[in-house]
Amino acid sequence: MSGDVVSSSTQVQHGPVGQVGSGDGAFTTRQLSRLDEALTLSSKESGLEFSVYVGELAAPTRAHAEALFEQLNPISVLLAVSPGQRCLHIVTGDESAKRLPNRACALAALAMRAAFANGDLTGGITIGLRMLADSAGHA
Amino acid sequence: MTIVETVLVFVGIPAGIVAVLVFGVYGKTLLHQPNRYRPGKAWTYPPAWYVAHPDALDTHAAPAASVTAVGGASGEW
Repeated sequence: MSGDVVSSSTQVQHGPVGQVGSGDGAFTTRQLSRLDEALTLSSKESGLEFSVYVGELAAPTRAHAEALFEQLNPISVLLAVSPGQRCLHIVTGDESAKRLPNRACALAALAMRAAFANGDLTGGITIGLRMLADSAGHA
Repeated sequence: MTIVETVLVFVGIPAGIVAVLVFGVYGKTLLHQPNRYRPGKAWTYPPAWYVAHPDALDTHAAPAASVTAVGGASGEW
């Protein structure tokens, strides 16, 4: 299950736990709870296991995102966002690709790019999750 | 009234009132700067991986022997 995924030097978070209130994390408490709500709702609605990686990706970034995905399940969908490198990757597996064709992923990536270019990191991730869950439909 | 008193009354008091108003309007943002991402700014935070709360998932698929990426999309901004 995806809750056990830990890669070296990466912290796994279930919603707003950990650095709550300290203010030095990448996201504020309010942003973290929005992120958690979007993740949980879209996973629950679609039956796919969404996860969001935010951080540096080693070049080539696509290969790194796919390597991260290999620690997940075939039913998982990984949204890898590297704000420093200004790139994002959506990765689907055997099962999730049947529900999410590449065209649907490209549309979600387009909406995310638009939000990110405006500096709205949380909004972009939330929109991406919502669009992917909508196109996957109900489980 | 001496010149010092005049300056204090007609400059000091208005300046004080303005300072109070400015603090009332912008104080919260000045004291607590939200972590706002701006395109082009360096990202110095450690990598984080967010997953849905396990209680929300009712599909606990057994981890497959080998999971390979099949499709997806990429983008840059």
